[in-house]
Amino acid sequence: MPSRKPDYYEILGVFRDASQEDIKRAYLDSAQRLHPDKNVAAGETELFLEIQLAYEVLSNPKRRNLYDATLPPEIEESSVIKHEVSFSRTNLVQLNEPQLVYALLEVGPRDQKEKLPSAPLNICLILDRSTSMQGDKLDFVKATAIHLLRNLRQEDVLSVVAFSDRAEVIVPAALNLEKKKHEGSIQMMQASGATEIYKGLQAGIKEIRRTLDPSRVNHIILLTDGQTYGDEKACLKLAEDAAAQHIGITAMGIGHEWNDIFLDALAGKTGGSSAYISKPSDIERLLTDKFKALAKSFADEVLLEYKQQKHIKINYGFRLQPEGGFIEVESPIHLGPILQDTALHILFEFLVSPQALDGDVLKLLDGSLKTSIMARPRPVPPIRLKLTLDIKQNPSEEEPPSRILNALSHLNLYRMQERAQAAAEADQFDVAARYLQNLATHLLSQGEHSLSKTALFEAKHLETKHTWSLAGHKDIKYSTRALLLSGDKEKAE
Amino acid sequence: MIVCSNCQHDNLTGAMFCAECGASFAGVHSLIKQSLGPEKYQSVSKKSSDDPSQKFSGGETWGSLHLVDTGQIFPLSQRNEFTMGRISKGQSIRPDIDFSPYQGYDAGVSRMHAVIKRDGDRIILKDLGSSNGTYWNGARLSPNVEQIIHHRDMVALGKMKIQIMVKK
Repeated sequence: MPSRKPDYYEILGVFRDASQEDIKRAYLDSAQRLHPDKNVAAGETELFLEIQLAYEVLSNPKRRNLYDATLPPEIEESSVIKHEVSFSRTNLVQLNEPQLVYALLEVGPRDQKEKLPSAPLNICLILDRSTSMQGDKLDFVKATAIHLLRNLRQEDVLSVVAFSDRAEVIVPAALNLEKKKHEGSIQMMQASGATEIYKGLQAGIKEIRRTLDPSRVNHIILLTDGQTYGDEKACLKLAEDAAAQHIGITAMGIGHEWNDIFLDALAGKTGGSSAYISKPSDIERLLTDKFKALAKSFADEVLLEYKQQKHIKINYGFRLQPEGGFIEVESPIHLGPILQDTALHILFEFLVSPQALDGDVLKLLDGSLKTSIMARPRPVPPIRLKLTLDIKQNPSEEEPPSRILNALSHLNLYRMQERAQAAAEADQFDVAARYLQNLATHLLSQGEHSLSKTALFEAKHLETKHTWSLAGHKDIKYSTRALLLSGDKEKAE
Repeated sequence: MIVCSNCQHDNLTGAMFCAECGASFAGVHSLIKQSLGPEKYQSVSKKSSDDPSQKFSGGETWGSLHLVDTGQIFPLSQRNEFTMGRISKGQSIRPDIDFSPYQGYDAGVSRMHAVIKRDGDRIILKDLGSSNGTYWNGARLSPNVEQIIHHRDMVALGKMKIQIMVKK
């Protein structure tokens, strides 16, 4: 950390060219977090006064001008966050047809050794207790919820909401719970009714807001085994509202009835992921792992805001790490969390139209990265993210960096599975089968024998029965997603 | 535009993997056709001449052999008949497609193992009296008997598994 005293812009966490509106918003955010009326830690009152002073100066255009004149040149490097970008090509080529270019963005802590204390958790478990959960599924869910409650740290909050076609709060969000009593209420949960995710989500968000605190990891884990009907749009809206308050969502689907595309979209709104639980006995492991990951959060979210560049489109975005997941590419993009031991890795595919190739250099993306780190009371100054590439007459002969090639080769498998799904959705079963056969060939060449067999089996199934087998598609989707992660780890070792 | 050597799918320039069959384009500069202004040119490859994909590049590709274990792709183009086998030192037998760099010996590929040819729309496979046999979708072929095969069929020369891709 530099010993230099941070300037007013850094204190508020805004750029030097921030508008009055940005400054005001940043001030209100910080003030809300550090206001002395709240029970705050030692030293935070001083921070609050600093922020107040910074705001007084910067919100007054005259004083701001005078202050700006005294500032040393802006330092572009952030002291807390480090980011790196690699491209699939060193330059673009002057062409009269559209072309693709890939960028891998890595965002992580600048100082790996700086150990921030693990942030306290504020987690809400939203549990499906519809009729179909009866038996093993609900039993494992209950046992896991009780296990998690027992192992909660003093400073953590865990609330539990159960839903079917209505929702009820089983464990309210509060500190210093009487755990024994609530273990009993979890045990009493009975399966009955239909699945209406909106009801559960609404109650869960209400619960998590009771103990909402920017210095905590605020996260919802939704567990369901079924499809919700008719309330998808309303659910996505709720997720957007949650994201705006830095509440993350992880959606876990048990068995094969649930809608993976919907849960992907729901979690994606907040930078979270969906997960597939193929058998009830895996519930405990996956949920416990998720809790461990949340407790290791370094930043609960990285937000990318950008202006659309003319004739350039972000075709596709995928988070490779810490959790593989689908990313919506509309600004602002919720990229996902950074863990203390795992940086955030995002892969983008840009489609460049010939009209964009005007001049020697192309600006692919112009935006900023905003990070919120729970353990830091002071806001993290945003980072400008400008992606530019030279435009040349000839393609470069240089091999792309191996990290992006690795990432792309694993993503390639995942996308083949996506294409198969899209084709099957469109009733083009022979096309879907062909994609799967191709996928099987590639899986085999990478030594994934059993997954390759599954893909071939599904290809046959689609060809003859015109539908996926019960678990087939989810098995392939989430297994190819898992390959993305294992592939990345190999690289890191 | 990048034309995939495996399935002939047209991909956008800059793609790293074929959007149709998933084949990798890494290092396949010879197959990138750049259109610069009105005229088109085919960029010159830097690859060494012993690369199998090199011998056949250019001309009309009517199919390809896909080595299942290594992912290697051999395009079939410019002629209608290819002998498959393994070159061994000091022998004058030279098959059109040589599997010796891909563990052909260990897989039990004979020096002159089999032949694949195109006859109009039909694709024909024939075992040339190999020691370890030629298998078509799991069944062993009788030596020197022609067998009509199809797109995506699995063929094995000894233990060397090959998927046949035919352009329609």
